[in-house]
Amino acid sequence: MSIFRTRSAAAILAASLMVAACGGGGGDSSVPPGTPTAGGGSGGSSGGGTPAEPASKIDSELEATRFLARATFGGSKAEIASLNGRDAADWLASEFSKSTSLTLPTLTAQPRDSEGRLQRDIVDTLYWDHMIGSNDQVRQRMAFALSQIVVYSDSADNDQLMRAYYQDIMIRNAFGNFRDLLEEVTYSPAMGEWLTYRGNRKGDERSGRMPDENYAREILQLFSIGLIELNMDGSPKLDAQGQQIETYTNDDIEGLARVFTGLSWAGDEFNDRPQDGDIRQMVMWPEQHSELDKTFLGTTIPAGTEGNETIRIALDTIFEHPNVAPFISRLLIQRFTQSDPSPAYIQNVATAFETGRFTAEGGRSFGTGQRGDLRATLAAVLLEPTTFAEPAANGTITTGKVREPILRFTHWARAFDVSGLNAYNERRLSDTRSSDNSLGQQAFSSPSVFNFYRPGYIAPGTNAGDQNITVPEFQIVNESSSVGYLNFMTDFAFDRASQRNRDIDTYTPDYSDELALVDDPTALVDHLDNLLTGGRMSDIEKADIVDIIDTIEIRTNSAENTAADQEDMVQAAVTLVLNSPSYAVIY
Amino acid sequence: MANISRRHVLAGLGTAGFASSMSAMSGLGFNNAWAADTGGYKAMICIFLKGGMDGADTILPYDQASYNQLRSVRTGLFNSYNFNSPTSTRNRANLLRMSLDNAGDFGGREFALPQELAPLHSMFEGGDLAVVGNVGPLIEPTPRPAMDNGTAILPKRLFSHNDQQSTWMSFGVEGVSRGWGGRFMDQVVASAPNQNRIFSAISATSNDVFLAGEDVTQFKIGSGGIQEPSLYSNRGILGGNDGDDAAREKIRAFLAKRDFQSRSLFEQDITNSTAKAVENTEQFAAAQANATPLSTVFPGTRLASQMRSVAETIKIRQFLNVSRQMFYTSTGGYDTHSNQANSIAGRHEELAGAIAAFRDAMIEIGEWDNVVVFTASDFGRTVIDNGNGTDHGWGGHHFVAGGQVQGRRLYGDVPFADVDSNEYTRSRGRLLPTTSVEQYAATMGSWFGLNTSELRTALPNLNNFNTADLGFMGGAGT
Repeated sequence: MSIFRTRSAAAILAASLMVAACGGGGGDSSVPPGTPTAGGGSGGSSGGGTPAEPASKIDSELEATRFLARATFGGSKAEIASLNGRDAADWLASEFSKSTSLTLPTLTAQPRDSEGRLQRDIVDTLYWDHMIGSNDQVRQRMAFALSQIVVYSDSADNDQLMRAYYQDIMIRNAFGNFRDLLEEVTYSPAMGEWLTYRGNRKGDERSGRMPDENYAREILQLFSIGLIELNMDGSPKLDAQGQQIETYTNDDIEGLARVFTGLSWAGDEFNDRPQDGDIRQMVMWPEQHSELDKTFLGTTIPAGTEGNETIRIALDTIFEHPNVAPFISRLLIQRFTQSDPSPAYIQNVATAFETGRFTAEGGRSFGTGQRGDLRATLAAVLLEPTTFAEPAANGTITTGKVREPILRFTHWARAFDVSGLNAYNERRLSDTRSSDNSLGQQAFSSPSVFNFYRPGYIAPGTNAGDQNITVPEFQIVNESSSVGYLNFMTDFAFDRASQRNRDIDTYTPDYSDELALVDDPTALVDHLDNLLTGGRMSDIEKADIVDIIDTIEIRTNSAENTAADQEDMVQAAVTLVLNSPSYAVIY
Repeated sequence: MANISRRHVLAGLGTAGFASSMSAMSGLGFNNAWAADTGGYKAMICIFLKGGMDGADTILPYDQASYNQLRSVRTGLFNSYNFNSPTSTRNRANLLRMSLDNAGDFGGREFALPQELAPLHSMFEGGDLAVVGNVGPLIEPTPRPAMDNGTAILPKRLFSHNDQQSTWMSFGVEGVSRGWGGRFMDQVVASAPNQNRIFSAISATSNDVFLAGEDVTQFKIGSGGIQEPSLYSNRGILGGNDGDDAAREKIRAFLAKRDFQSRSLFEQDITNSTAKAVENTEQFAAAQANATPLSTVFPGTRLASQMRSVAETIKIRQFLNVSRQMFYTSTGGYDTHSNQANSIAGRHEELAGAIAAFRDAMIEIGEWDNVVVFTASDFGRTVIDNGNGTDHGWGGHHFVAGGQVQGRRLYGDVPFADVDSNEYTRSRGRLLPTTSVEQYAATMGSWFGLNTSELRTALPNLNNFNTADLGFMGGAGT
């Protein structure tokens, strides 16, 4: 079995080299054939055997595809070729030093209508272009991951600037420090509106009014420490009776709610929304800030402490809680590499978060040494040796990650280097939230602050569920979402999705490499397997797709008809791979 | 102390349970003693109101003293409604007074619905709708002193959205894998081997735990009718050459395939879910081909389109081969920390419009006596406001509607807003529930055909309460 797999991997590699040879363009990176020892009969990948080579050394295009699927919005052909042969740690270091692409400048440069309004849905469509087209892929992918932890969601037309400003907080802080991220989020008008503490007033004894508790609760439960005390490996701490220990009580919430009072836009009055209010941090209005003492998580901020100082102390207190490292680490791992992270993996990442440093196997060091350093943390997530290891030769594989629909779409767009990155022209990309006829997911648009899916979700009626394995992404998979995804991807893969202006070429895939393989369906499917799943398709999956595309009739009565049918063949092959189980899972 | 009273309760219920099982045995014969009654057709439809609906702003006090009391403890909120304005929906003069058949249970206290719920008010007056007051998750009857001194066993992670949603649906915090909707259907299919399992539990919304059973898992219907995979069902995609029909057939077979010999567990699960999607949507579409459209017009809201899908599904029930069905719908927007006066009105209109249209559709197809629609929500909210909104609470008030519902009554209580009383927890006027979700569920479960032992299997803490039937479905408690 494993020998067969090795042989087929070599065949795939040969197929892809052939493409590189006839495809032109990506020329000089001409792919050293990197011995496909990974996955070889010995069972271990680079991880075990040779001490000279770190696990993160990328030895084949297949490994490059898989790593890029974990670390970016999907590998392009050029990136796959250029990563092959390098240590992923070196590649990551170069990603860390790339310049930052932001979203607000692009949004503010958009045309306005006569009343000064932006076009509807423009912030959503620009974000698709941004995810797919930005050069700083790891930063953007980290921002997307953070957006699913520190969740802000809004698609209202008049909140688009606020949303872009918030997106940029994720993007700017993606390689920064988690403590700074929390502070920028806390002062952002987007979060203030979303969790309703913008304009939150201190309690009033006479009317009985109390401060809004919304942000106090969710910053603890979702953005920082979670509900139960954790060990560094993410497992729950237990008390003497063997019970889990809750991190806070309702009294802590009431105490912390006093902290987040007095914040609003920097206008003339407390509730005045100035023109540029949405794209500037909120400010403290001292007379609306509770002057009472604030007791939570074992800390008391004395009565009368100035508002911004109060928030600083509160965020320090939250940030210093020992849960933050394992809590955030597990969530990050789930966004990149593993749907159900192992305790050892969580511990590795949490340690990097705690110490602010991560040293890769090859000796390269990441991070500033400050607790909460997100470069160190992310390096630990992406360079975790076990994520590079080939699975054991036998038995069921439970590692890896089910990729959320957004990533499956962006990977297609990047793999086929779509031209015309103008999602605004693609009607289907304006709103991809519906699971009935779309992706069932749209960035920064989850149904609630609890994200699209829960990190502890165990899907009923599944094999993974029977083994108590968490797969958050399964929470948005069901009959109608499966069909919705299939139809959405079919429309794009066949370049037939509805457009605002059909005269503009947008989101058009380049299938020229693939069309060059139509005479050899097996080579075509092997090539797609390499490019889209990192060579994970089973022999049956591939044989079935080969059989299907072989069945598609190629007319020979005219060159035009032949070309059209050959295009059908490639588009069908691509669509089927995008809908194969192997494409949905990355390991 | 708490232990003694609990033993008391258990003993009492044990006798009742034994008696009812004896009567079942004598009536139906030994073999059927533990089997659910699955005769005829019955459906339960859950409407989950995500975010935690503010009960105190849904069922309002109407008598002057109770109204004044509520107004005095949530001044900010009443001010944001401009309650003194003659047109304000919270001006007492504009509230829709409920004519309770059991008014005598509440002394002089009276209750009302806001105008946004007018369709529900007329259903209430007509006897098709009841209110169950102060329902929430409970492990055991929980008096305030037992809560304060720590002797009461409390549900875990109170006030947390996701955990209380999960607790309402499954009696455990997030991560529990079986919900009581699914467990009810497990009992049904065990007693009705011919029942089609696929269409036993149907979600018109997200994959929440409510419908997850041991043997029964949910089928998901879309809001815009059933979609089939275009790649093989739409002949315009692959073109119309001679060979292409064969290719389409093979594509369908590929997508419906159950085994690609993948070693990845996740891939196996994806394989199954895609195959299920292909097969189940085909079966459903075939059944639907028999149907003529409903003439009832549903509003265009998120909830109403789900309820329309439910109604359309009930309409084709004979082609789906089911005698019992559990449906799950949901809508959001109830987490009204801020701006409640502006936001809850629209939510209430959505709710009332969807239920009223559903009632009309059921009357149209002659099924109104066979269905019960009920609401659920994360929790109620604090009676003490935060200026213009409310925060997370515990007990809340709920609606049940259906042709067999003993309507025009308030079950349980909508307590007087004395937030310092023992009816509320220590701070901010969070209602301490007096009716457990399990009693609420059991009352409908009995009507649905489940017997005492089946109810206890599905509802783990039911034994701790002194009645398993609140009476609103015409059962013992009336």
